[in-house]
Amino acid sequence: MSQTPQVIEHLNPDRLNAFIDGELPPTECYGIEQHLTTCHDCTLRVLSATQLKAATARAGHRFAPPPEALARLTAQLRSQSQLQTKPQTQTNPQPQTKIPTRIYSIRPAAWAALAAAILLTISLPSWRQLNRTNTLAAELLDQHLATLSSAATPQVISTDRHTVKPWFQGRLPFSFNLPDVAALPPDTTLKGADLTYLNGQPAALLLFTIHKHEVSIFLTQRSTTPNLSTLPGSRAGFTIHTATTPDLRIVAVSDVNPADLDNLLAALVQTQNPA
Amino acid sequence: MLSETNSGDTFEQLALPLIPSLYNHAFWLTRDQAEAEDLVQETFSKALRAFGSFQSGTNFKAWTFRILHNTFLTTRTGIAASRTVFLEDHPETLDTSSGPTPEDNLIRLNNQAALHIALEQLLPQLREVLLLCDVEEIKYKDIALILDVPIGTVMSRISRARRTLRQLLQPQLGESL
Repeated sequence: MSQTPQVIEHLNPDRLNAFIDGELPPTECYGIEQHLTTCHDCTLRVLSATQLKAATARAGHRFAPPPEALARLTAQLRSQSQLQTKPQTQTNPQPQTKIPTRIYSIRPAAWAALAAAILLTISLPSWRQLNRTNTLAAELLDQHLATLSSAATPQVISTDRHTVKPWFQGRLPFSFNLPDVAALPPDTTLKGADLTYLNGQPAALLLFTIHKHEVSIFLTQRSTTPNLSTLPGSRAGFTIHTATTPDLRIVAVSDVNPADLDNLLAALVQTQNPA
Repeated sequence: MLSETNSGDTFEQLALPLIPSLYNHAFWLTRDQAEAEDLVQETFSKALRAFGSFQSGTNFKAWTFRILHNTFLTTRTGIAASRTVFLEDHPETLDTSSGPTPEDNLIRLNNQAALHIALEQLLPQLREVLLLCDVEEIKYKDIALILDVPIGTVMSRISRARRTLRQLLQPQLGESL
């Protein structure tokens, strides 16, 4: 009896890209997700494309305006916008006096200095913070995706907190507690751990599974990690949730249900302050 | 991400947070600090003059990037760049018979230098569409508006850009692939 080989119709590149860019309607996304449950090749292509997207985002945030250019642009924007207010309704734009393309220090020096001072004391730190957290989000996602590769095995493989926690001693400048198996949310398993670096600082990377979804938990010292309040809640289809304790910042990355991810975060926070 | 706007927002409130993004994009287009600053400056001048025609509730970021893109096309650098003959991509098929396996393609893309070199080697039209999508996180329909091309062209350029980027990265990452 001869068997005809089954022809698998793989995702075409345009649909794959639209899928990772969040451009497809829910019904089409569902169809692709169903296909991915049975197609190993396409699953890896989606992972790889997501990883490339995250890396491109990080590499593309490359050119920041020098402080003096930022001050000039801000001063120009403020001085010009003071001359106009937006009409309430959409009408023909009112005739404006032509603004020269190139502006050569037409404002008083005091105004430029004031704008620069305001900018450097208020705006620039917040922009830097935003840029830093965007880069950090890309770094978190990149590291999480790297753990999904079949070739990636944790540096310490264990489901036992008594193995994992001591393994970090001497490797990290801080310590933390791990919940006992009984204290973990249902269907949550500790797979192992890696030593990693996040934002240039040493970090513990704990690898869990929740309902067969991979979860990466990053633990860093609060004193060395930037404020994570502006981290996006999700990126490229993965949830990024954070929690803090008096000493630690904890970041969770996964494609699992966000509520389940929060339960694991809560268990980790709880175990840092045992009653 | 800044997208829909409120009717009470002033031009300054909307535009000020965009300076870093506009400058970054302008630098990728012009590859020159002074030109990038001039481009952002002129974009603001034009945007402010046209602000009366901007519809509240629509995507101000996309509207401003469209002005930046069109302004760039009128510069000497932009005119030179637009002379590049650009043929739209043909649909491609997944070739599983040769080359790296899907597992090989799970690259650990932590080599910033390799990424920067690869992005610089992309055709300008491919690089711009990828930056708008991945760096600025602008939706396809708005990218189509910015570049004044059909949405299907945006999709095919993004596919082609990512495929080219991966091809450019493979020799540089060598054993990482």
